[in-house]
Amino acid sequence: MRRIFHRLILRPLKEEPLRTALTVLAVALGVAVVLAIDLAGDAAAGSFRSSMETMTGDADLEVTAVGGVPETVVARIATLPHAIRIRARLEDYATLAATNDTVPLIGIDMVANALENIENAPADEALREGDTLWASEGLKLRAGDTVNVQVQDAVRSVRIGGVFPQQGRVLVADILLAQKLLRREGKVDRILIWTPEDRPLEQWESLIAGVLPDGSTVAPQGARTRENQRMLQAFRWNLRVLSYIALVVGAFLIYNTISVSVVRRRPEIGILRALGAARGAILAGFLLEAAVFGFAGGLLGVLLGRVMAEGAVRLVGATVESLYVSSQPAPVQLTPGSIGIAILIGVTVSLLSALSPAREAASVRPVEAMARGRVDYLARVRFGRGLLAAAILATLAALASQAAPVAGKPLGGYAAAVLLIAAAALAIPALVAAANFLLTPLLRRLGGVEPMLAMRSLAASMRRTSVLVAALTTATAMMVSVGIMVGSFRQTVLIWMDGQLQADLYLRPAGSASADRFPTLAPDLAERLALLPEIRLVDRFRAYPISYNGMPATLAGGETAKVSQDGRPTLLAGDRREVIRRLPTCDCVIVSEPFANKHNVRVGDRITLSFGSFEVLGIYYDYASERGYIIMDRATMLKYLPDPASSNLALWVRPGVDLDSAQRAVERAARGSNVAVFPNQSLRREAIKIFDRTFAITYALEAVAVVVAVMGIAGALLALVIDRRHEFGLLRFLGASTGQVRRVILSEAALLGLFSTGAGTILGVALSWILVFVINKQSFGWTIQFHWPAAALLGGLAVVYVATLLSGLYPAQIAARLNPIEVVHEE
Amino acid sequence: MQHSTEDAHPSNGLPILRFDNVSKIYQTDGDPVVALNRVSLDASGGEFIALMGRSGCGKSTLLNLAGAMDVPTDGTVFLDGSVTSQLDDSGLTSLRRSSVGFVFQSFQLFQNLSAVENVEIPLLLSGGGDARSRAAARLARVEMAGLEDRLPHQLSGGQMQRVAIARALVHSPKMVLADEPTGNLDSTTGDIVIQLLRGIASEGVLVMMATHSLESTGLCDRVIRMRDGRIES
Repeated sequence: MRRIFHRLILRPLKEEPLRTALTVLAVALGVAVVLAIDLAGDAAAGSFRSSMETMTGDADLEVTAVGGVPETVVARIATLPHAIRIRARLEDYATLAATNDTVPLIGIDMVANALENIENAPADEALREGDTLWASEGLKLRAGDTVNVQVQDAVRSVRIGGVFPQQGRVLVADILLAQKLLRREGKVDRILIWTPEDRPLEQWESLIAGVLPDGSTVAPQGARTRENQRMLQAFRWNLRVLSYIALVVGAFLIYNTISVSVVRRRPEIGILRALGAARGAILAGFLLEAAVFGFAGGLLGVLLGRVMAEGAVRLVGATVESLYVSSQPAPVQLTPGSIGIAILIGVTVSLLSALSPAREAASVRPVEAMARGRVDYLARVRFGRGLLAAAILATLAALASQAAPVAGKPLGGYAAAVLLIAAAALAIPALVAAANFLLTPLLRRLGGVEPMLAMRSLAASMRRTSVLVAALTTATAMMVSVGIMVGSFRQTVLIWMDGQLQADLYLRPAGSASADRFPTLAPDLAERLALLPEIRLVDRFRAYPISYNGMPATLAGGETAKVSQDGRPTLLAGDRREVIRRLPTCDCVIVSEPFANKHNVRVGDRITLSFGSFEVLGIYYDYASERGYIIMDRATMLKYLPDPASSNLALWVRPGVDLDSAQRAVERAARGSNVAVFPNQSLRREAIKIFDRTFAITYALEAVAVVVAVMGIAGALLALVIDRRHEFGLLRFLGASTGQVRRVILSEAALLGLFSTGAGTILGVALSWILVFVINKQSFGWTIQFHWPAAALLGGLAVVYVATLLSGLYPAQIAARLNPIEVVHEE
Repeated sequence: MQHSTEDAHPSNGLPILRFDNVSKIYQTDGDPVVALNRVSLDASGGEFIALMGRSGCGKSTLLNLAGAMDVPTDGTVFLDGSVTSQLDDSGLTSLRRSSVGFVFQSFQLFQNLSAVENVEIPLLLSGGGDARSRAAARLARVEMAGLEDRLPHQLSGGQMQRVAIARALVHSPKMVLADEPTGNLDSTTGDIVIQLLRGIASEGVLVMMATHSLESTGLCDRVIRMRDGRIES
């Protein structure tokens, strides 16, 4: 067996090191992408937990409230006649002015911590004096440093009192200082509670709930982390699925490599069978070849994946930050477990891909071994059956796409996508056969003998051609479908912004933005700006991160009456006039589409927040955040959450006033606050920049899948040159120049590119429909209008096509260099 | 078989091929191997010449040099007025296109092309017009009419060799080089192929055939015996 494996498998692989290397690299890239996305997801999704959970210790319960828990609650719980221990915290963000890094700012009771020595917390009582912060080691600051930090919209100089041993990037302040900096005097964000073990946690929970005022809630500690993780599930799930595409493309190429091996070694297999080799030995030999590819690819994939994870974590982190929650990428952790899984993925995918050709090898009868051409010929005449199977799979895909989500996951959509890819793969032989029939005369007339020979050769090697086209088609289709989805989304957002962003200027605290950070402006700023002669109208908007039904969401208040004349917002459900009339006066809200879909809320429903119950008057289109918004009128909000500070302001300039001079006037009036003022157009540009950054990871994944496919084409063309070398030699005998031989190979590459980009475009459009209307809708709840990003698509397709052509250059050079005398006479 | 007068080649009777003291030395694992050793010969249009000798005596090397597939290490090969060693790769290609047709022992047909498509390849490579009808006409002349659209695996060995001969002649070369053309055929079919080649020579084309078989040389004008890279007689 070992000798069979060596002679039949290993030796041929060694004889074609480049092709072997390309196949291993294809598997490696597929594995690497999956690993990188997994590692990056862990790092990006895990980081918000690690930073906000700094010094929480191992508490049992936590008390929270929208807008903060009144400080009096701390005393109320502390005076309960039970041996419970409590710690109050403030949790927000500060921006280091020197680096513009936004890091968690945590306010804790330094004295209490010092007394109880919790989690290496800073214990310097002197901290209570002056503006002194403690920095984690990860911030690379030194005790005694003076740094400028921005908290809310104010920048101030603070002293670093010391550095505490934590790798994350966190600033810690005494709670009194934190309250002052955050303008939350009399409030804390969280009260952590440690309970004795003499009764169940649920009993403690209800006992504490009994002493809480309206608006405050108690829950097991870590609920927020779990909520965030739940919220990120759909995002991570979709990203993971997207990362499998490169692996699927790699699987096609393994299938092709093993198929080529089988076809090429058919005579040897026949001889071995004639000499008594069992079918099982042949099967095992080829499966072992696949396992070697899988193992080598898996190993290399681990190394590549680790490197790629560094880039991916930045991209994934940016998306998490924009759409979900503040995130600081944690270090990428490559564990023995993830290494093992990566190698296992490589070997499993390779074995599964190789199963069919290996079984075919095992079924070779000794007498059949000599008839090489017959196998391909049989494959060619069966395309009708493939077409029928493709039609059945496409019908099943259409049915699957109608299925409801399962546990919030669009499993029907994924099944539809897989079925469509399989249908395309089965239809490709018919496509190539049809192209051969229809295009050959045309190619001969327009391009001469070379493309005609190329077309005939592709049609004759139908199985090989079909697999290659299927691989590149899958990669191209992914590019097209994601391109259309992102392009449609982008266009939808642009149109939405036209309706949504009606003000002339927008103002918010300076610093980087995130979906769950809402720093506030000085409360009197809006009034000061409203007095400016350049300004006609000021709309104050306040947002709070909240938890609704165990999921993070955003509660916000705006001034309905002021902005109603500008047509905001565009409603998906509900009567606009009714919304404008009732929203300012009743306990009513409107909710964003992602919120409505996530929580199955309809117009007329009531939603219950910790401080009251509200009727849903409408559902509006919103693409700002996937967390989901609940919007109420500012007056209603102030009734329950009386903090008048705004998170941002929208300003309308008086008619006839120059926008630049209005902006300068606003900036002058806001002097003393560190705010960012955006004219309407630049806010839109900024929003689109964030949008593009959000989807950068998908482009990166597409690129890898296309690279894998093109590498496969290069490898396959190399194999083709080797297999058909006597044909190229013969062409030289019949009068072909080296250039003509080269052109035959390049024509094959061009035709493979043509079929793949053609089929990929058709499949891609079908997949984009599933992405836009099924997977996206069920995962994220956004309605996306279908648009054709024609220029981007044509650009992408051109890149794929040119890359395919270029992949033929080296094989073409090899073919042109063949010695015709040697290759023709070697038979 | 009918041969029309329009096929009669203008070079009939004139020298087409001349070997002047030609040697060919190959390097095998660094050691020189003399494949042809100071060979001289003249061959004219209309001649049917047999090259005989054991395997490795230099027959194939001589055919390759004659067919402008290779150039000599020493000496001069004149082919249709050109000195092959003075030509670059594209010059040799042009010379092959215009002057040489090849027939092989194992037919060497493109398996994915039909009979007529195989035959028209030389015309298409040289950019010649009307390739399909000329190829069909040439096939008809080797008694393959009606089988134009068959793929090689649908033809018998004799039929495949006829297609190969039609292909070698389709561009009206001055010389046809046949390397063991009957080696894969039974004796009856082999005889038919030899008669075909004889007919081609009668049209004014120089036909040079390498063979092991003495019976195949019955219709030849001349038999050149080779041994160890030299012409014996």
